[in-house]
Amino acid sequence: MVSPPGYVPAVLMVVVRLPTSIAVPPRAGGREVLCALKHSLRVLEPDLDYGAIAFGIAPLDEVLGGGLARAALHEVAAAGESAITAATQFVLGLASYPQEQRAVLWIAEDMGLHENGVPYGPGLDDVGLSPERLVTVAAAKPRDLLWAMEEALRCRAAGVVIGEVRSADRLDLVASRRLSIAAGQRDVCAFLLRSAPGTDASAAATRWIVSAAPSRANAAGPGHPRFSVHLTRNRRGPVGSWLLEWNRVERRFDLAPPLSEPVADAACDRPHRATAHGA
Amino acid sequence: MRLATDRIARQRTAPDPRPLVVTGRQGNVERLTAVGAAAASLGLKPGLALAEARARYPDLAVVAEHPADDRRLLDAIADWCQRYTPLLAVNPPDGLLLDIAGCAHLYGGEEKLLADLLARVECFGFAARAAIASTIGAAFALARFGPAGILAPGAERTALAPLPIAALRLPEETIAALRRVGLKRIGDILDLPRAPLAARFGNEVLRQLARALGEEREPLTPLLPVAAYVAEQPFAEPIAREDDVLRVIVRLAARLKPMLERRGEGARRIELALFRTDGVVRRIIVSTSRSVRDPDDIRALYVERLASLADALDPGFGFDLARLSILVAETCPPEQIGLGERADEADLDRLIDRLSARLGARRVMRLIANDSHIPELAAESVPAQADVALENGWAAFRRFRDGVALSPRPLRLLIKPEPIEAIATVPDGPPVRFRWRRALHEVVAADGPERIEGTWWSEEAGPTRDYFRVEDKAGLRFWLFRAGLYRSTAQPQWFLHGTFA
Repeated sequence: MVSPPGYVPAVLMVVVRLPTSIAVPPRAGGREVLCALKHSLRVLEPDLDYGAIAFGIAPLDEVLGGGLARAALHEVAAAGESAITAATQFVLGLASYPQEQRAVLWIAEDMGLHENGVPYGPGLDDVGLSPERLVTVAAAKPRDLLWAMEEALRCRAAGVVIGEVRSADRLDLVASRRLSIAAGQRDVCAFLLRSAPGTDASAAATRWIVSAAPSRANAAGPGHPRFSVHLTRNRRGPVGSWLLEWNRVERRFDLAPPLSEPVADAACDRPHRATAHGA
Repeated sequence: MRLATDRIARQRTAPDPRPLVVTGRQGNVERLTAVGAAAASLGLKPGLALAEARARYPDLAVVAEHPADDRRLLDAIADWCQRYTPLLAVNPPDGLLLDIAGCAHLYGGEEKLLADLLARVECFGFAARAAIASTIGAAFALARFGPAGILAPGAERTALAPLPIAALRLPEETIAALRRVGLKRIGDILDLPRAPLAARFGNEVLRQLARALGEEREPLTPLLPVAAYVAEQPFAEPIAREDDVLRVIVRLAARLKPMLERRGEGARRIELALFRTDGVVRRIIVSTSRSVRDPDDIRALYVERLASLADALDPGFGFDLARLSILVAETCPPEQIGLGERADEADLDRLIDRLSARLGARRVMRLIANDSHIPELAAESVPAQADVALENGWAAFRRFRDGVALSPRPLRLLIKPEPIEAIATVPDGPPVRFRWRRALHEVVAADGPERIEGTWWSEEAGPTRDYFRVEDKAGLRFWLFRAGLYRSTAQPQWFLHGTFA
């Protein structure tokens, strides 16, 4: 089932069989009915709050409500094909936060690995992800990739599941909905890594667009890598853009101090999105 | 003896009433190598020249021989015969040896087994002769030259005596030499003094004689190694649905489980053999990364494996026998329940097994570190199911990296370094701009060179490489290298090997 681009369902039908004990009071007004329904939904929904991965950057964590939600699906897209490594680093930087010691599954298509390069152990170790924890899966077709991701999300031993999707592959709402439901079942963080921003609807909790930004280079060579990060969708709060710097020593993201020269404007034109400026 | 003609007759869609002969070129003459039943009744025999046969019976169906096809057919029949015994060998060009010790009672005795075997083979369209004896030599001689049937143990001497010497599996020259002195039947040499016989005709005569009489043991080299654990299930009514096959797998695995437990072992490689009613045998193998013996685990692997089969199960008219054998077993510690970390680890192994069964073992990989300076050799992907994946060298790599303060490595490495067009201002310096995948990149910052020499004892790594970490105007960071030095090469080539964040 493939949805047309930009397709958002107009009506979301929620059908609940109410437990008899939480019946709607007789002859109640519309507001009371709604309250009762909301209450019953809260009862039915288990408590699935597994906490969040904090960035340690106040404005970002505030927007995200304490950090990137675990037990959820997050979509990280590169601004362009060449920025895929920046997006990869953004995901891995989050995947390798210190409390998490379980396995990381990186599921990609053969074609994607050929185009963008394979994960390189020594480089992964540099960003703080021990290569021992990584299991890579090469899928022959997008269908296999989605299947492998769902299987991995069900596994207790997997802490982070990364699915690398090429820009050519369309990912419909059903696929991302399935993944986010699977991710919500247990304490596991799911990332969709895309080589270009997707235009189709997605059920991801957050959507990001990441591009590389010039670092504070000096005569000794390139400085700490910098990223310009746009949060284009956030189910918990407002969106925004930030300029982040990866601290190679501490292995965490910092808010980049402003450069003396003007930084190029956001690569992505999304005028209808309100932006909250962190930097 | 009529394997080739039966093969051709089976492949025909319409019956051909003409006598069938198969011919092959021997020397300069086209001779008959096999004759069909109709041709044999006319008196045609293998070895006859085709021209002579044609002169006698002009209306012959002549087909050129194809030994490779015959061999394939024989192998297929051998495969099918595995339903009777796992110990079986092919005796080219047209024979099969089955060791039925301990198997006959499953069919209700040797007579019934033999009758069942012959009836089924005949059903497939092959004329067959079979003999059961206590030695390979005697069974061979009886099946090919003597009265087929069952020879009681100890009766070899009397049964073999009237058979021709050729029944002893001797080289042609020896048979001819024996015939020249008038020794034509086995009975003629049975009571001759052994020493002069050996001196004149070689030890082979005595050895084959001793083997046929059971005085010397002869081992049978089986076609396939015999699995340590086997469970099988015949069906009165052939099964065809995948669900049924899975149910049978669980039942067979449940039968193997106590055997495995008793010896403290678990399965690492499992083979499911499905015998189709028309004689085709389907073998499906799964491997695991840790030894398993739980029937449900084995079933889960087969669910994925069957789902990924390109040509589906294709049951035809159904399977009438299923066999689950454990090809590789390994000591398996008793299950421990309740220790969180171990359970998680087992869960990961189970996931890896499931992914490998569905996608293929070469698609589910782990990274290991190798002791090499060449970047593409320093890290290697190995199948996650392989044991080598556990002995990764990352701890050693970290010690090495911290010891020499290795410069940063890229996050993603291209599978093959890609050539780029680069312009460098200083001969040994970094490029000022380069073109990669048709896009031009202006270098604003560079770090390097880090010189990596190829290993002198192997050509594999190529010339010396000078690696640079460069950043372009847009902030993209790359790992480039120049292959070769300006001093030794007029125009060194530049490559892009990886990308940094």
